[in-house]
Amino acid sequence: MAEQSDEELVENSRKGDLAAFKTLVIRHEGKVAGVVRSMLGSTPEAEDVGQEVFIRFYEALGKFRGDSAVGTYLTRIAINLSLNEIKRRKRRFSIFSKEEEGWNRGTMDDRKDMDEMITHEFNQLDPDFRAVATLRLVEGYSTEETATILGIPLGTVLSRLARAQKKLRTGLEKHLN
Amino acid sequence: MEGVHENLFLQSLDGKISEEQKAKLAEAMNNDRALKKNADQFVKLRTRLLRKEEDSFGPFFAERIINRIKSLKKEIDYQIFFFFKKYQLAAIGVVVALVVLNIVLSDNLSVKSVLGFEEEQASDIVTIDLYQNLTE
Repeated sequence: MAEQSDEELVENSRKGDLAAFKTLVIRHEGKVAGVVRSMLGSTPEAEDVGQEVFIRFYEALGKFRGDSAVGTYLTRIAINLSLNEIKRRKRRFSIFSKEEEGWNRGTMDDRKDMDEMITHEFNQLDPDFRAVATLRLVEGYSTEETATILGIPLGTVLSRLARAQKKLRTGLEKHLN
Repeated sequence: MEGVHENLFLQSLDGKISEEQKAKLAEAMNNDRALKKNADQFVKLRTRLLRKEEDSFGPFFAERIINRIKSLKKEIDYQIFFFFKKYQLAAIGVVVALVVLNIVLSDNLSVKSVLGFEEEQASDIVTIDLYQNLTE
C-alpha cells in the first residue's frame, strides 16, 4: 500500500481517524523532539511541551489550511511553546534566584565533553537568538524559512544569527580553534 | 567578521548569493584573516550543531498522544452532558410547576386537568341515533 501523504493524513484526521493522526505523530516526532530539546535541553518538560505541540495541532486541524507544510507548522508551534516554557522557567527561577545561579553556572570547569560544552553555551543564549540558532543551525532550515517560521524579517534572522554565533564563539573560543 | 561581509557570509550558507557576491566574499576573506577565522569557526560550529540523527521522545510517544486525545474527547463529552443536564433539570422543574398550576386551577386530579386539557361537560356530548337516521 502506498504511503499516505501528510495532506491525506490531515484530511482523514479531520474526519476523526485517530490512526491517521498517529501516523502524523510518528512521522514528525523526530523534528519536534529536535526543536524542543534544542530549545529546552533534555529536561522532563521537553516531552510535555512535545505532547502539547501535537495536541495543539490536533485541536487546530479544522483551521489548518495547508498553506505551509505540516512539518513547518509543527516547528512553529514547537518554537512558540518552547519560548513560553522558557518564560515560565524564568518566572519560576526568579523566585529562587540563587537556584537559578547554580543552575546556569553548572559545573562548567568539570565539563570535558565538547558536545556538552556546546549545549551549555547554547542554553545560555537569549531565547530569541536560540530560536534562530535552533532552526538555522540545528534543524538546517534556510534563512528564509527561519524568517517565515518565526514571523520575523530576513535581516533580523541574519543579525540574531550573527550575534548568537558571536556569543557561542566567545564561550567556545579555545575549543573551536 | 563585521557588517556587510558578515551578512554576505551567512547568506552564502544558503547558497543564494550571486557570483559577483561570491567573488567579493572570497576576496574579503583573503584580505582579512579574522574574517576567515570567524567564518571557519562558524562552519565548524554549524557542523557540530546540525542534527544528524532523528530525535525522539522515547517509546510509545504517539500512543501517549492518542490516549490524551481520547481522554480529551471524553472530557468534552462529559462537559456537553453536564451542560445539557443543567437545562434538563430546569425543564423538569418547569413541567412540575405547570402540573401543580393545572391541578390548582382546575381543582381536579384527572389526567386531563393535570395535562391542562379542558374537561368535557355533559352538554358537550352529542349523541347520534344511527337507527333514527337510517329510518328517516
